[in-house]
Amino acid sequence: MASASRSTNREPAFLLTPGLFFLIIAFFFPTFLLLAQSVLTVGPDAGELTLEHYQKAFADSFYAGVAFRTLRLALLITLICLLIGFPLAIIISRASRIVRSLLILMIVLPLMTSVVIRTFGWLVILGQGGVLSWVLQALGLVDGTVSLMRTEAGIVIAMVQVLLPFMVLTTLGNLNQMSPSLEEAARVMGAGFFRSIWHVTLPMSAPGLASGAVLVFALSISSFITPSLVGGVRLPVIASSIYQQMTGSFDWGFGAALSVLLLGATLVLMVPYLIATGRLGGRS
Amino acid sequence: MKTRKLFAGTAGLLAALAFGHTASAQETLVINSFGGSYEETHRALVITQFEEMYNVKVEVVTAYSADALAQLRAQRDNPQFDVVHFSGGLEHGAASEGLLEPIKPEELTNYENMYPFAVAGIDKGIGPMYSTAVIGLLYNTEQVETPPTSWMDVTKPAYADRVLLTDAASNTYGLLGFLMMNQVAGGSLDDIEPGLEFVKDILPNSMLVSKSPEIQQNFAQGNAWIAPYAQDYAYTLTKAGLPVKFVQPEEGGVLAPITVNLVAGAKNRDLALKFIDFSIRAEASKGWAEALRYTPTNRLAELSDDVAAEVVYGEEAVAKLVSFDANAIATNRAAWNEAWTRAIAQ
Repeated sequence: MASASRSTNREPAFLLTPGLFFLIIAFFFPTFLLLAQSVLTVGPDAGELTLEHYQKAFADSFYAGVAFRTLRLALLITLICLLIGFPLAIIISRASRIVRSLLILMIVLPLMTSVVIRTFGWLVILGQGGVLSWVLQALGLVDGTVSLMRTEAGIVIAMVQVLLPFMVLTTLGNLNQMSPSLEEAARVMGAGFFRSIWHVTLPMSAPGLASGAVLVFALSISSFITPSLVGGVRLPVIASSIYQQMTGSFDWGFGAALSVLLLGATLVLMVPYLIATGRLGGRS
Repeated sequence: MKTRKLFAGTAGLLAALAFGHTASAQETLVINSFGGSYEETHRALVITQFEEMYNVKVEVVTAYSADALAQLRAQRDNPQFDVVHFSGGLEHGAASEGLLEPIKPEELTNYENMYPFAVAGIDKGIGPMYSTAVIGLLYNTEQVETPPTSWMDVTKPAYADRVLLTDAASNTYGLLGFLMMNQVAGGSLDDIEPGLEFVKDILPNSMLVSKSPEIQQNFAQGNAWIAPYAQDYAYTLTKAGLPVKFVQPEEGGVLAPITVNLVAGAKNRDLALKFIDFSIRAEASKGWAEALRYTPTNRLAELSDDVAAEVVYGEEAVAKLVSFDANAIATNRAAWNEAWTRAIAQ
């Protein structure tokens, strides 16, 4: 009896081993190195403890501005993904099997395309004389060509397309578990369409929306390929600044300090959010 | 089973001995080249002819400059390369680290035929420039009636919204173009503030890109009429059918040299020197201009009129070329990147 219970205690640990091993090698170890690099000096007296890299980040308002842009864009992208993703997930969950498969395929397709190809697609659409400019001109909404390339609006549009699947798929998981009779009951009891969604569907899908929002936020705050290809060098975000420090200026200490600050900011924002939505999340 | 293994092993050993023998009969020189169409041109102009002329084998390792430098550092005690080609000024760092060996003028039969700037560093280990890219102004010949003559022309109201600048933090040609605008605006390698102010002034009316394909795209779509960039890239655009021409402004174009260097402790020093000498002969210099529109560094290279029209060529034009100290660039690069990023950020 005792030995049997001990073996069941060990089983989860055993199953965790591969994942944990991978996490240690590929995440904790490099993150630790990064942390170390951010507080160590470089140059002639290398290896001493220092805060100079962090001081550089706070020396003037430049990096605060970059951080502010990064957070603002990430929040906006998350919000738009919520607004588009939630209704879309409801529609998909109620569609017939064929329509549902088609819709899911359409949503997931961008994820299966290389990020570079996808972004160059946006370049064709958003660029000067591109499809968007042509449509707006044909509709008589603008004179001359417009371009959303190298604008924050362009970054947001391209990022929403990339990240929408994360929102839709996590929410869909929740909605699929929800019995349609719950909503039917609300409607029978006299609740209108919007009221039943607000009082029944939304709370039921809150955990999915919450984890979708976390995914979208974390991915947009740390992405740099799309912001740098669509936004260009004049609209730096934190991740592209880190990339520039690491590969252009070879200032690894400062790049590491920026990475740690980004990680810190993400945790400060996410942990309270996760705790709050965990309580809200209806895991009853 | 055991016998068979033994037999296979012996056969392998014999084969290795046999091959080793034929290989040692012919001297082998190990060099790097930059891959792709550049390497193809390199083989046609220099490598294959050298092999035939001296009956030797040249082993080409494809490695870009930064990669080659890393390999030289790693192999410091036992260098595998005899000759290394560098672009982007990395030969200066490599020479000061003692990875490259000085060459005496009398060791190169072509020394007297070279422009002085092309062999200025050979006593310090910086190998001769066998050709050089030049940064100047590219312009759209259909939209721009009078060709630009000065770096200052990018400020002309006629080009408003049609000026294309290249990021100086991530693109070497972009940096060299910026340093020249800085110099024209009154700055120096110790003070890039005038250049930053100059760029900030024209930025509201210009585009800023970071990669060369974006330059092609913007010229193709008609967004760009004038751009500080490289002579060889103008040729790339011309080959793509775009109406683009390169000019050297009156203040001078900027040298972006490509060098051929002798590795310190090279196993085949004599052959390596012969190769370097062969690389800088007039025919090779001329070939680089014809194939890729690099400016010849050998003054005996004679270009046909159509090629000469597309490269900085001839004593008078070449005398105007400006060279920026690669060591100063290396020292200041990180600080400049930082200042540049701040200046251009919206």
